[in-house]
Amino acid sequence: MVMAEEEHIISMLVNNKPGVLSRVSGVFGRLGYNIKSLCVAETMDSEVSRITLSSVANSHFTEKVTKQLRKLVDVIDVTELKPATSVEREMTLIGLRLHKEKRAEIMRAIDMFGCNVRYMSDTYCILECVGETEKTETIINYLKPLGIEEIARTGIIALPQKN
Amino acid sequence: MKKSGAEILLETLHDAGVDAIFGYPGANTLPIHDGLRSGPIRHFLMRHEQAAAHAADGYARATGKVGVCLATSGPGATNLVTGIATAYMDSTPIIALTGQVTTNLLGSDAFQETDIIGITLPITKHSFLVRDVRDMRATIQEAFKLTTCSRPGPVLVDLPRNILAEACATDEERTYQAAPKINNGPGNRNDQLNNIARALNQSERPVIIIGGGVKLSNACREITDLIEKGHIPFVTTMMGVGSVHAANGYNLGFIGTHGFELSNRIVHQADFILAIGTRFSDRSTSIVEEFAPLATIAQIDIDPTSVGKNIKADLPLIGDIRKTLEKLIPLIEAPDRSGWLARIRKERETTDERNCNKGCGAPGRFISMVQEAMPAETTAVTDVGLNQIWTVRSWQPSIPRSLLTSGGMGTMGFSVPAAIGAKVGVPDRDVVAFSGDGGFFMNIQELATISYYQIPIKIVVFNNSHLGMIRQIQDLFYGNRLSSCELGNHADIVAIAKGFGLNADRVAVETPEEGISKMASSTGPYLLEVTVDPENYVYPIIPPGRSNLEMIFGRSD
Ligand SMILES: Cc1ncc(C[n+]2csc(CCOP(=O)(O)OP(=O)(O)O)c2C)c(N)n1
Repeated sequence: MVMAEEEHIISMLVNNKPGVLSRVSGVFGRLGYNIKSLCVAETMDSEVSRITLSSVANSHFTEKVTKQLRKLVDVIDVTELKPATSVEREMTLIGLRLHKEKRAEIMRAIDMFGCNVRYMSDTYCILECVGETEKTETIINYLKPLGIEEIARTGIIALPQKN
Repeated sequence: MKKSGAEILLETLHDAGVDAIFGYPGANTLPIHDGLRSGPIRHFLMRHEQAAAHAADGYARATGKVGVCLATSGPGATNLVTGIATAYMDSTPIIALTGQVTTNLLGSDAFQETDIIGITLPITKHSFLVRDVRDMRATIQEAFKLTTCSRPGPVLVDLPRNILAEACATDEERTYQAAPKINNGPGNRNDQLNNIARALNQSERPVIIIGGGVKLSNACREITDLIEKGHIPFVTTMMGVGSVHAANGYNLGFIGTHGFELSNRIVHQADFILAIGTRFSDRSTSIVEEFAPLATIAQIDIDPTSVGKNIKADLPLIGDIRKTLEKLIPLIEAPDRSGWLARIRKERETTDERNCNKGCGAPGRFISMVQEAMPAETTAVTDVGLNQIWTVRSWQPSIPRSLLTSGGMGTMGFSVPAAIGAKVGVPDRDVVAFSGDGGFFMNIQELATISYYQIPIKIVVFNNSHLGMIRQIQDLFYGNRLSSCELGNHADIVAIAKGFGLNADRVAVETPEEGISKMASSTGPYLLEVTVDPENYVYPIIPPGRSNLEMIFGRSD
């Protein structure tokens, strides 16, 4: 039986110490799940980091992974975030070659998508765009034929909605 | 007054109740060995670090206390790996102390530097690198807490040499701040407990499956009470053997690949299964889809990852087994189960007939005779292979923790060093190690340890001049195409044992009386080699990829 796969977003709080990330990522590797994106940074408490992580996996994923993660001594909390009840964002930097004949079209696209230009020379620019994954991918797909040279994505970060 | 890291370490171990360490020195652990000279803790110098880890494991299994092993950095630490993995798979509380290069050299590929924490990540519950002498005491205390709490398991503490040597004053020492866990709770246990009780009371053909967790939770008395109050037949996993007195009338034996025909058949007929302290490993279930097809399954375990992992639990309950059973027992009624028990009795008659000597042949009879000749509460330690199955099937433990076996990992070479640990841990109880010739050769160097410390254990080596279990599998499932399973008979095991300074003797498995009584009456360390026909297999056995019902009783031809 082939189970349907979908994207899952796991958010966790962990001790901000050496080696913790390898313990966390080891759980995914051992269970055979690929990490699609991963974002780690300190929280307001500098001794605690938040890891936000996404994987494309079957429906057993959340239960298996969260149970194992909760057993790790350095993991304080684990939750799965659902798109409908959370705010998700990611940031992308796009390095773009400015070909003369495409320049006008590129400028229009930057305007249309509301990207920020963070660097610009005669022949090259770096754009910043922030949004949900879907928007990011639309922009990347649009700009690709216009001359993207490289991109860097943060991966998803997310917080649950609250009352 | 200032104390060195090594002194604080040894003091903390002593405060935690450690009376013995199994280890092997190297440059990076010498501050510890220096401290051991004067201390109250005995250090047993093993002949290989793997054996040190198995000895700590055997100590922990026999006593229920934490076992401690010690190795130097680099090769010493990596030699521990098999022993740590063995303890991990069977949830034994051990602490592995490893020396490490000085902190300024960490990450430089220094002499005998190895990332032992990285290497052991998947086989430890947790690990620590002590980077500051002020954290030594708190880290060791935390390691003890972690190795025993919830589901026990190995904890490794990596100790850089300079931290062991540096000194600090008591008032400089720091406490350990464990980050508070945000508890997402296991749900309403009372409801779950009531549901399990109701389902069990209403069931017509209940069976309890006892896993290794029952012993770990010290719930052997409670499980016996439950069985007797509810008239509930029980089976065990291999790790659960010995949780209840073997002669208990409700005992059907252990299940799985090498388990008993009766237990496998009855589980298949059950309408309700209460599984306690077992993860339903593939060794116990064979094909998951065909395991206990008629049963509602309730599962009690302290480890959330074990519940519903391999088999879906209809009624899960996550919690300490002993505490849970204490609450469950008052809810259990004693309905009339005479029909179910009569049906089991009838099954038992036919299966007993088919499986004389418990399917083990002469070695099974031999093991029973050894048990009869030895004092009542003797501990048996098995190796791996046919000898393991012979022993687990034939030895009838009357008290918990008196049958020690490497169940999850199946580590050959386990028996002799684990027996050393068991004897050191419980000196007034006799210990017999049962091994095959293959496994015996894997840690044969420990005869020197036994001899040096005059550890009075008895070692039975079943010599079938083959890797017997491999031979059986090749014989049955590879069309008798034997390959790489013959060990031959070129080594004289009795002479080797004598060369190490042990008393030793040889008997044939068919005529063992005199040999057994000589061994039983010996006082020091003793080795008995038992010659066995290489075709003396174990039956029934479940072929790979078959269900627990598809046992076979011999070659298909
Ligand atoms: C360290 C290790 N290596 C290999 C195996 C695979 N294995 C399982 S049983 C067995 C044969 C054991 O032979 P022996 O020790 O002579 O015992 P017997 O089966 O003859 O009783 C082997 C090689 C193992 N379990 N452990």
